[in-house]
Amino acid sequence: MLPDSEPSLAPHLETRPAGLYAPAFETYLDPSEPVPRALLSHAHADHAVEGHGEIWGTPETLAFYRRRNPEWAGSERKISFGESVEAGGAGLTLLSSGHILGAAQALFSSGAGSLLYTGDFKRRTSRTARPAETARASTLVIETTFGLPVFRFPPRERLEERILTACREAFAEGETPVILAYSLGKSQEAAAILGEAGIPTVLHGAAWKLLPDFAVAGVALPGARPYESGPPTREEALITPPSTSRTSMVRGIKKRRVIYLSGWAMRSASRAELDADVLIPMSDHADFDDLLAHVRDVGPKRVLTHHGFAREFARILSEKGIDAAALPGREERPRDET
Amino acid sequence: MTPYRLVADALEDVASRRGRNAKVARLARALSDVEDEDLPAAARFLSGSAFAEHEAATTSAGWATISAAAREVTGWNEDTLASCASAIGDLGEAVSLLLAPSVPEGPSVADADAFFRRLSAARKAAEKRALLVDLLERSSAVEAKFLLKTLSGGLRVGADLTTVEEAIAAAFSRSREDVARAHRDSGDIGETALAAKQDRLHEIQFRLFHPIGFMLASPIETAEEVAGELTGFAVEDKFDGIRAHAHKQGDRVALFSRTLDDVTAQFPDVAADLSRLPGTFLLDGEILAWRGDRAESFFKLQRRLGRKAPEPALLEEIPAAFVAYDCLAEGGEPLFEAPWRARRERLEQLAAEGELRLSRVYSAASPEELEALFTAARERGNEGLVLKETGSFYQAGRRGRAWRKWKKALATLDVVVTAVEQGHGKRAGMLSDYTFAVRGENGFVNIGKAYSGLTDEEIRRMGTIFRGLTTGRYGPVRAVEPKVVIEVSFDSIQPSARHKSGFALRFPRIVRLRPDKPVSEITTLEEVRELYARLSGSPQQ
Repeated sequence: MLPDSEPSLAPHLETRPAGLYAPAFETYLDPSEPVPRALLSHAHADHAVEGHGEIWGTPETLAFYRRRNPEWAGSERKISFGESVEAGGAGLTLLSSGHILGAAQALFSSGAGSLLYTGDFKRRTSRTARPAETARASTLVIETTFGLPVFRFPPRERLEERILTACREAFAEGETPVILAYSLGKSQEAAAILGEAGIPTVLHGAAWKLLPDFAVAGVALPGARPYESGPPTREEALITPPSTSRTSMVRGIKKRRVIYLSGWAMRSASRAELDADVLIPMSDHADFDDLLAHVRDVGPKRVLTHHGFAREFARILSEKGIDAAALPGREERPRDET
Repeated sequence: MTPYRLVADALEDVASRRGRNAKVARLARALSDVEDEDLPAAARFLSGSAFAEHEAATTSAGWATISAAAREVTGWNEDTLASCASAIGDLGEAVSLLLAPSVPEGPSVADADAFFRRLSAARKAAEKRALLVDLLERSSAVEAKFLLKTLSGGLRVGADLTTVEEAIAAAFSRSREDVARAHRDSGDIGETALAAKQDRLHEIQFRLFHPIGFMLASPIETAEEVAGELTGFAVEDKFDGIRAHAHKQGDRVALFSRTLDDVTAQFPDVAADLSRLPGTFLLDGEILAWRGDRAESFFKLQRRLGRKAPEPALLEEIPAAFVAYDCLAEGGEPLFEAPWRARRERLEQLAAEGELRLSRVYSAASPEELEALFTAARERGNEGLVLKETGSFYQAGRRGRAWRKWKKALATLDVVVTAVEQGHGKRAGMLSDYTFAVRGENGFVNIGKAYSGLTDEEIRRMGTIFRGLTTGRYGPVRAVEPKVVIEVSFDSIQPSARHKSGFALRFPRIVRLRPDKPVSEITTLEEVRELYARLSGSPQQ
């Protein structure tokens, strides 16, 4: 689509049908189909498809990948945050992206300059993920899920307050809080916030089964129990993925207050789409201002955008005099934030 | 001075409450916090309307105006605004998200009221834009969100006028019946709220020439559904015209449509006929194209619609007449709380004293007899039947079970136009191709596209309307605000990935415009699903 974007990826990356490819390391980055070797920035399903021959990533990401794909029998290479891998005259370092536990940005460097691939990232702190790091790089490949100025999230503390208020009001009125949150990352984050405030939680199996891997990384969730051991009783909050909002598990709770935690909660329409009541834009992605801040801190000569509002964000950067283009790629917008 | 923020915060809370009682309680709290002088406007705003229902004023600001004002206030260019609107799914909401989350002193309820009234009076786009700029500059995100939603007509917070009536009753400890009656007679939820607060509900009296809500019928699909209750129902043909209330005193006549618009000037022939009758009254009935002693098709009547004043030649060509089926007031005395039977008697007396066409009343003792009446009604060119409980009151503005309607199983869909584009060949240069939608669970979903079955003249007239409703242009296609309701017929219905509804119509044809049909009452996706299930894709007759 934009042929002139290709040269600026070189020499670190090139685009191939399955996704971005790092020739020095003979590895794809978050490819969309099985490949011989994949570097996984994090373990969300849209970045970590099953069936790769070999996977590279942080210990946490690899553990999630194995947990979610128990049949998979490939090999792995753990790369810890800050550790450098050298090949073909190039270096690769993983930096925290702040997205979810184990999520990494990949910094490529060589005599020909450096390239930072953000993967999914957020700059705000959270209870279950390491804070994001930044590094200077001459080229920035940035995810732009929320690359429009309508996506500016309120301060983190305010959002946490809103979650607690919604739950407490629900309890006061005899309703069960049902928190719609993606199973890896957001669910555990919600359980941590509620647990700290003394609100016990019941987790959907998809989120619950990942807790051992969170525990290994030092993230404990006191006050959480699995849905398997029974539906929520009074004074317990249910945490379940957005995809379950119209299932009998949720609908069976007659008196409920459904709280949607996602950047997409900025849209009133998501209320009807998910049969939700309270919309709280707590996201694991950078909002528009944080995207701009990341570009500023990395200080690249050229920015390449992908995911979400890639063309729009590239256009906005260009209007600000920054050399930017969207990577060719899928146009669809994730509705479930991952 | 009440801040508009109080209204906006309440609406945001109402949207996030599931139960009707919780919504009522939250609205009631807001209403009791409003100062008297601001209560009428605040109550209207809480019900989603900028004006009293009986006011002729309407708000209108199209995409171009809102987007131009937003550019000026936010500094974002048109491309970014369009992207934002598409991401959020609503231009007004997107614009609000580009404003500051809070401002030191937002607009007051009185400011908002003044804004809507000035906007309604403004004719020039530049004037409208300036008013919007001024308002947006003073508003925070949540204020702008609901001001703009009010502007485009649709808060979507799950609270209708009845909910607000209940909230008024709860806020000021009045009975729901008294509030509903005052609301019916005033045609203004705002006036009703203030009267409730000041314990003056009884002072609100029925007034002629003041539009009243229409009683609506619940649908039935088979005669069997009412088999057990048939003896309690009177049966009439369901006419295929324009439902109207006719107010008359001396030689003054006013005709109001279902949307409570005064359509008297559009039907001078009907008004003249009615003015010749003796007495003072309010009648419910139907305006029909009329020739000799019988009604003509809606196609004919359609040509009379949407013009301020028809020229004499058209009146000559397509005369219209009023067929009365209910008498809601006589001699200044309201009859809403009289049973249908008694109202019918009054109506028949009126007809005995002057030249007034009445609907015929039938009765059916069994489902079979009802079937026979239905078939006969269809043969007379009518839509079907209406069943009216003979002991029921006139519940203005309500759809209850006291009235039932039996139409032919969805032979047509009522849909809203979402996009238009230019035709080809003979109709090149005219906006003759319409894309249309039904109401899904989460907003409108497209179900088809059809070439206009309208006359060239109608297409031209609609073209002007669509230009004013344009929200964006994508090559030859104009996206338009979903405001124009049309009726489409089709040969069959099948599942399809082509349209967002998941269905496609085979050979869709535009039957007619339905200016009498509010957008809120178009066919729902659920009805389409049921229809599909019933027809299982087989061709319809």
